[in-house]
Amino acid sequence: MAKPSFLGLLLIAPALIMIGALFLYPLGFSLAAAFTEPGGGLSLTHFQKAYELYSTDILFTLFIVVVSTLLTGLFSIVIAGILTLSETPWLIAALRNLYRWPLFIPFIVAAQCMRTFLAKNGLMNNSFVALGLMEPIQTTSFLDWRGIIITFVWKQVPFVTLMLAGAMASIDRATIEAGRNLGASRLRVLVELVLPQVAQTLLVGLVLSFVTMLSVLSVPMMVAGSQPTMLTVDMAFRINSYGDYATANALGVISYFMAGTVAWIYLRHNVKREVQA
Amino acid sequence: MRNSLMAAGLAAFLMTNAASAQTLNVATAGDQNMVDYIKDYLGPMFEKSHPGVKVVAVGTGPGDGGSQKIFEKLDAQKKAGANSDFDVVVIHQKAAGTMAQDGLIQKYRDALPTGALVTRDTATNALGTDVTGYVMPMFHSQTAIAYNPDLVKNPPGTYAELRDWAKQNPKQFGYNGIKGGMSGVAFVTGWVSAFGGDAAKLEKGPYDAATKATWDKAMADLKAFNQNVVITPGNAGTLDMLNRGEIAMGPVWVDMFYTWKADGKLPPNMRLKLVSPGMPGQPMYYAIPAKTAQNKLAADFIALATSPDVQAEGIVKRFNWYPGIDAKNLQGKLDQAAWNQLFADIPPDALAANGKPFPIGPYFNDILETYEKKVAN
Repeated sequence: MAKPSFLGLLLIAPALIMIGALFLYPLGFSLAAAFTEPGGGLSLTHFQKAYELYSTDILFTLFIVVVSTLLTGLFSIVIAGILTLSETPWLIAALRNLYRWPLFIPFIVAAQCMRTFLAKNGLMNNSFVALGLMEPIQTTSFLDWRGIIITFVWKQVPFVTLMLAGAMASIDRATIEAGRNLGASRLRVLVELVLPQVAQTLLVGLVLSFVTMLSVLSVPMMVAGSQPTMLTVDMAFRINSYGDYATANALGVISYFMAGTVAWIYLRHNVKREVQA
Repeated sequence: MRNSLMAAGLAAFLMTNAASAQTLNVATAGDQNMVDYIKDYLGPMFEKSHPGVKVVAVGTGPGDGGSQKIFEKLDAQKKAGANSDFDVVVIHQKAAGTMAQDGLIQKYRDALPTGALVTRDTATNALGTDVTGYVMPMFHSQTAIAYNPDLVKNPPGTYAELRDWAKQNPKQFGYNGIKGGMSGVAFVTGWVSAFGGDAAKLEKGPYDAATKATWDKAMADLKAFNQNVVITPGNAGTLDMLNRGEIAMGPVWVDMFYTWKADGKLPPNMRLKLVSPGMPGQPMYYAIPAKTAQNKLAADFIALATSPDVQAEGIVKRFNWYPGIDAKNLQGKLDQAAWNQLFADIPPDALAANGKPFPIGPYFNDILETYEKKVAN
């Protein structure tokens, strides 16, 4: 066994100090603040308050993020599947050139665009009306939970697709050819041969998307009205309006808990695979 | 020989420098338009009348958070026993109260030539704290209900009528809740003043923590009211939806409303109505830190900023705010068109009767939190 070298420790020291000072210390601090009552003792009063004021928003956040993650997975599988298995060259070329675009657009810009695109008399509905697909009276506004989900999915699908298409491209083509030769439809090849081989990558992409969407402030703030809203907006409001860091931290801990659960599922899956291998 | 020459040169340089380049540092809370107002309009005007003075404007950020930063800096400098490096500060009501109580700003209004032109009670009372003499209002901004006269022929004149109107016209009234900006907050505090009982106590105090229990009925009604309205994304969100014809009515800031109209972002026929018993508005204040090296210049600067000419041209005409000094001092300074525009929908007497202050700090927080608990959750 190699002895830990002093030089090696020295080399990673800056990174360790950065993580300690900029991540672990604030994390510990916010955890401590969430569980400390004004007098100084340990208590759950901030969580009680968070629940009293924001129980709907906690469920709303979970709902939005879970639905967005599932839809992101679905669309990514469809796009990556087409890129890998389609036999129509122009479709592949068009998709390949188009799907990455949203990756380069920040959440706040996406939210700003959606705000005018999805409104009742916004670009989308106006286009439908102009095309004669809809009467003006039938239009509805999507600037609520649907708007948040649409924005999240639009923004996260390219990210997951990028990972997934890469993984699909690197699997052994012989397995796909074999399936096709034996008469399996392309859908069946995708579901039964390709997906099981890239499930790990899909899971990583979805876990990362879940955590990212959980932490976005600009989209719920700009796309939807505030009732109900996501936890990030509530945290910002707690701090801006009342200077109340304690309840904001309690909401933060609830978010960690959601993110942590997903990370745990991922890790467990990973360990199981390693044991099997 | 050479050394003494250089020393003399240096001394001369320092002296001329000190005489010719005085700097007046103005720190302002609020949006970018506040910084622009001082940098592009007021600063150059003051520099012209005071040769050798340079005005430097610093923005500290929008909302009460911006004022909080100014407070923290003055507080730290006071504790260190140092002169503050801000000479004039522009702050919100909540911070002005704290700063006056903590002795971070000085009493200067009585010595100011324009000090007597102020009549509104916000010049003496900042959300329940006595600030007499410590502040000069820079402008007042006011919330009101904007409506589309094509869709609403007879706009409601009171909160009670508005409630009934929203019931008869579902999803035609929109406001931005309390997390999307102050116009929604103003609508909610106005609602509590109208239906929650003792409105005067909310504005003047004294604070009694038990009062919030008396708002249950008003909050339950507001929850029912919310079923018939649209919750918009933000102050600008309400104006956007009015502009696109998606809602017919909603609470807005008057200055934002006029600015959007002038920029062509709202149809020119849109109107305003200040419903009774009233909706809140708030001033921004000019104040001078307790210890500054530029007392005299700072007072001169504020005197210029609150003179009838500047209030007419800068505050009313360029930025669509209500004047900080009594509006009657502006008559004759403004052309009739600008005057008519500002007071067309909300005449001065309606503004005096229905333009209310926000509730005092503790009630304000209680209202927001009760709303979160009883209405939003």
